[in-house]
Amino acid sequence: MGVGPPALEAVGVSKRYGTREALCGVSLTARTGELHGLLGPNGAGKTTLLRVLLGLVRRDAGSVEIFGRSVDSPAGPAPDGVAGFVETPAFYPYLSGRQNLALLARLDSDEHSTCGRKVDRALDHIGLGAQADVAVSGYSAGMRQRLGLAATLLRSPRLVFLDEPTSSLDPGGARDVRVLARHLADEGAAVVLSSHDMAEVEELCSTLTVINRGQVIFSGTVHDMRTLAPSSNHVLHTSDDGAAIDLAAHRAGLKVAPGAEGGLEVSAELDALDSYVIALGIAGVAVRVLERRARSLESLFLQLTAHPGPGDCRTAPAHEATGRQPIPTVAW
Amino acid sequence: MTIRSLRAVAGVEWSKIAAQAKVRLVLVVCLAGPFVFAVAMRLQSSVPADTLFGRSVMESGFAIPLVVLGFAGLWAFPAVTSVVGGDLFSAEDRYGTWATMLTRSRSREEVFAGKVLVAVAFSLLAVTALAVSSVAAGALLIGPLPIINLSGNLLSPGEALTRVTLAWASVLPPALGFTGLAVLVSVATRSSAAGIGLPVVAALTMQLLAMIDGPEMIRRLLITSAFGAWHGLLTEPRFYGPIAYGTLVSTAHFLVCLSVAYRLLMRRDIGG
Repeated sequence: MGVGPPALEAVGVSKRYGTREALCGVSLTARTGELHGLLGPNGAGKTTLLRVLLGLVRRDAGSVEIFGRSVDSPAGPAPDGVAGFVETPAFYPYLSGRQNLALLARLDSDEHSTCGRKVDRALDHIGLGAQADVAVSGYSAGMRQRLGLAATLLRSPRLVFLDEPTSSLDPGGARDVRVLARHLADEGAAVVLSSHDMAEVEELCSTLTVINRGQVIFSGTVHDMRTLAPSSNHVLHTSDDGAAIDLAAHRAGLKVAPGAEGGLEVSAELDALDSYVIALGIAGVAVRVLERRARSLESLFLQLTAHPGPGDCRTAPAHEATGRQPIPTVAW
Repeated sequence: MTIRSLRAVAGVEWSKIAAQAKVRLVLVVCLAGPFVFAVAMRLQSSVPADTLFGRSVMESGFAIPLVVLGFAGLWAFPAVTSVVGGDLFSAEDRYGTWATMLTRSRSREEVFAGKVLVAVAFSLLAVTALAVSSVAAGALLIGPLPIINLSGNLLSPGEALTRVTLAWASVLPPALGFTGLAVLVSVATRSSAAGIGLPVVAALTMQLLAMIDGPEMIRRLLITSAFGAWHGLLTEPRFYGPIAYGTLVSTAHFLVCLSVAYRLLMRRDIGG
């Protein structure tokens, strides 16, 4: 199933705790059939945003529409088809996983007769069937995370919020969750995935929103983000690599080392790189290839969030940071 | 809010408290306590003479529920009714389950109402269990014999049973008043220790205040005064004024506490 109309449209959402701005005019759109990454360093406001979207926290400003309907009161029931969890999902430790899910199913439905089947299906789906009758107090963090996913599946979700769903899972479990998230999106659900794992977002998500200090610093496709990010790592091939290394040794702001796959790896800001290339020419060392290395989303993300944000809603619009000029690949 | 929603939330809450050992223990104590007391009275030679109807515990089984009632009014009712009311909301904070609970198909209003309904139901159940057990213990271990009331008149067993039943019924409103207080403390402090402990401390403080020779109005505004209003049912002629006033005061406490608790929960940011 392809990407469809917006399931979620949050515009200008702000939240203040005392004097601290947790969210400053954050906007986020997630479409049906789409996995949307929500990235940001610790304390950026990701979890607060998810809490606002799930109706747990009252927003101070902005609007939220879910499936085209305005969500005004955070005290109302979760809209049909909306599910998810924030931080590590929590359950009643003195009850078993199955009992916990049965209670949640009763909160979701007036039809008691179908609750048991739904619970069994959800438990099997996330691979907790064998431990379903163990008290949750005996569950590992990973098992609780799986149970949280089962609780999400109980609502037959069309809009899913997952807050770092693989953070407590082993690699196998994390892979299962990624498959599940992809499956939900393929089935037509909009999935908003908050994660610290850039590789995970890069692998799963087609669109993403990056927030830092409560402000959106990037919103768009993964492809857009790659093209916007500056590069500082290059692969260099010269006519005399040894001389090129010697020449770099006396230059500030420049790091040159032999590359693992031949040539040299150059790490430098643009100005330093320019003057180094000129110096190579003057020294009679020919530059044959100077190529920007392919960058992972993680390094781009780190660059975007490295600069401390203003932390004040009255300053420049958040999306201004996305106006960076990409550095083109240079090759001879 | 619909009846179905309320029933669903209340059913979930009841399932949760029914699975808790401390709740079962309280009910067991309510059921077994009077029997233990009655057996102790039979085994010992002296009687609790300084307690209302204490002198009669070996003469009539109906004295047992009245002695238990007098004792429970001091602190046991506030404690018993707070076990659930003072924990039902703060337990969600302790376990971190508010987000789990409030991202389902029930509104906060329905969750609040369902929880309060269960807290009230448990308080009524605990007081009723204590009452039935006390009457049964007195009847079975001492005997359903006539009893002398506070005016010195002898009451037949039938009349005594009626008055004992009415006396126990008269403590339901203040018990619910303390349930409301426990709910409020539980919501406001998000602490089960405070939710269960503070109502007991409040009850003891109110009893101290009642002993101070202050304005009568202050004494009448205390919920604990309603726990002693049943004395008027064991006199000739009977007087109902304290019961009516105590019921009014308890109802006001109950409603005010629940209103404040409701507003606090509705305005609260969960985990923010």
